[in-house]
Amino acid sequence: MNLDLTDEERAFREEARTWLREHLPTEPRPPEGDEMRAFDLAWQRTLFDGGWAGINWPAEFGGRGLSDIQQMIWYEEFALADPPFTLANSCTFVGNMHGGPTLIVNGTDEQKARYLPAILGGEEVWCQGFSEPGAGSDLAGLSTRAEIDGDHLVVTGQKTWTSYAHVADLQELLVRTNPDAPKHKGITWVVCDMRSPGIDIRPIRTMSHVTDFCEVFYDEVRIPLANVVGGIDNGWRTAMSTLSFERGTGFMADQVELAATVERLIDEARVRTGPDGMRPAIADDEIARRLATARAEVTALRAMTIAGISRNARTGVPGAEGSMIRLFHGELHQRVYQLALEVLGPDALRLTPVDGEGVWTGPYLQSFAYTIGGGTTDIQRNIVGERVLGLPRA
Amino acid sequence: MDLLPTAEQDEIVATVRSQLRSDFDLHTLAAADGADVVVPADLWRRCAELGWFGLGLEESLGGVGFGLAEETLLVAELGAHATPGPFLATVLGARVAALAGRSDVAAAVLAGEAPVALAEVESSGPDERHLRITDLGGSRYVLVVDDERVALVPSESLDATAAESIDLLVPLATAPLPDGTAAVAELTGDDAAAVRRRGTVLVAAALAGIAVGTAEQSVAYALDREQFGVPIGSFQAVKHRCADMAVRAEAATSQVRLAALALADGRPDAAFQVEAARVVATSAAIDNAQTNVFNHGGIGFTWEHTAHRYVTRAQVLSRTLGDRRDHLALLLDEPPPA
Repeated sequence: MNLDLTDEERAFREEARTWLREHLPTEPRPPEGDEMRAFDLAWQRTLFDGGWAGINWPAEFGGRGLSDIQQMIWYEEFALADPPFTLANSCTFVGNMHGGPTLIVNGTDEQKARYLPAILGGEEVWCQGFSEPGAGSDLAGLSTRAEIDGDHLVVTGQKTWTSYAHVADLQELLVRTNPDAPKHKGITWVVCDMRSPGIDIRPIRTMSHVTDFCEVFYDEVRIPLANVVGGIDNGWRTAMSTLSFERGTGFMADQVELAATVERLIDEARVRTGPDGMRPAIADDEIARRLATARAEVTALRAMTIAGISRNARTGVPGAEGSMIRLFHGELHQRVYQLALEVLGPDALRLTPVDGEGVWTGPYLQSFAYTIGGGTTDIQRNIVGERVLGLPRA
Repeated sequence: MDLLPTAEQDEIVATVRSQLRSDFDLHTLAAADGADVVVPADLWRRCAELGWFGLGLEESLGGVGFGLAEETLLVAELGAHATPGPFLATVLGARVAALAGRSDVAAAVLAGEAPVALAEVESSGPDERHLRITDLGGSRYVLVVDDERVALVPSESLDATAAESIDLLVPLATAPLPDGTAAVAELTGDDAAAVRRRGTVLVAAALAGIAVGTAEQSVAYALDREQFGVPIGSFQAVKHRCADMAVRAEAATSQVRLAALALADGRPDAAFQVEAARVVATSAAIDNAQTNVFNHGGIGFTWEHTAHRYVTRAQVLSRTLGDRRDHLALLLDEPPPA
């Protein structure tokens, strides 16, 4: 047990701080469409050129091969630099956090060479095709069909809750290749070109007014067999390697940002008039106690993240314990924005965008996604109960 | 940066655990319910021989010479087993005596000859301030903690009156405030604040231990107890409560370790981390202890079962060296870590 940073880690922090001061964009992120995509990719390219893309990716795949601690330091410095956008709200997220890491673990040399540099270099946008109208929490019950025809898969079906599908080049897609096998054993993980004939993308409006949510329809879409990652009918295992990553360090940026958000909220409570219409909000006992509780909990979230990194460093792979962090984080994120509306007073009724400086109500509406996306908190609790605590399945 | 115990620290924990299992069995200790002295003198000396009272005290001060990290691990185990006895005040009392230059007093405390009770100031009205004392019976000294100072006073110097305690293994008493002349060792100012802060980490560690111990107890029962022909842990309602308990225990444990290391290293954000640990651990202990009773159904409501021990201990600890409101206010007053 120690909190010491190595000389290398300390130097890394300094280096990151200096670089961010010089390179962080000052203009706001465009909220939608091609402008948003261009902005996100430009930032990814800036990161890549500066040597800050794929910090904890292996060096042989274009990353820096550094530790998860250094990755965390980077996120901390990013949050401290007061950026005009949040890291998780980027169409580069799926490539960096799902597709890329899955290929690193399961891809062939050709696949890695084809896809990984374009993710890190900000050339291609990835999206995720996992959930279906009939397969949400029961992901393995998915029914989008893929039949082998020569050296292609022919895909027909529907995916949903696909963020950024409308601006994506590629998709990590789960399809059913064997309808007769037990449900976990007939699934294949494949890279789908989003410009293939037969794909129809329709936007889904969300309660937070974010327009990047989509459903995707596939009508005999032909995907080369060479795009299959991890083998035909082995897609469940391939997908799980992505999800364990996501539940491990994939949301670290968000978690680090939340600590900065709580500090911003405390600052707001000092300057805004409180519920009695006279004193600052922070003088209200209930608000003060909830702010202090939020502060304690985001602080503990960071400690859990460091404990998780310590555990991963010993075992080499993200364990199911990551679900504990994900669960704690998702619900805490919501509590923070629920509290924010209490602090805001009259401004609680003024709609803001989800992303940008000084926004609260947009992120409040968006916060509902935090206990649903990437596996609902009900599913996270099942995972903690069964895989961490060893309780029997129903 | 690493928040998992080293192999050596794991060994300390394993030793403590096996000792607690053999010597501090809660069913055996139930015989002492309501008694003035809960831990017999010979058992107290055995704990001293194991080095528990001076585990984190510097060798130059007569201690074993490990750090606050190891002391935190020890106290977390005490919490996880709902171990009664004046451990916290004894560990802090030895430090106060040693730092105040009373190495003779420190030596007696460390040797297990002089258990130390804990007293803090309590108000029951605008002008009614008195000491609340825990574990007075069998003690030689009382560690009196207030906002300005921490002082060891001889137990017999206090005019104490026993009170009914919510926790029958933590004897409770009250006494008029001491006049200040009786102290055998005293620290003030920053020195006193440092002891209080160290105590706050240790209370948080004990609370985190309760969160861990109750989570483990619930999981074990959920695996063992069958209804409708299957272990109750297979039901989502029970499973999810156990998962929430595990998450609260993990959050509290991680933050307590981080806080202990920050304080031991003298980091600028140490006070912030310590108060955060105390806040998170308090909720985790109380919530988990309460849920643990429920998870056990009727048997959890009985005196014979140990579930209630955690409930009352969590209440006692949550009001030891300040209460939840005090620490929420302290945390909000701290500047955020740079």
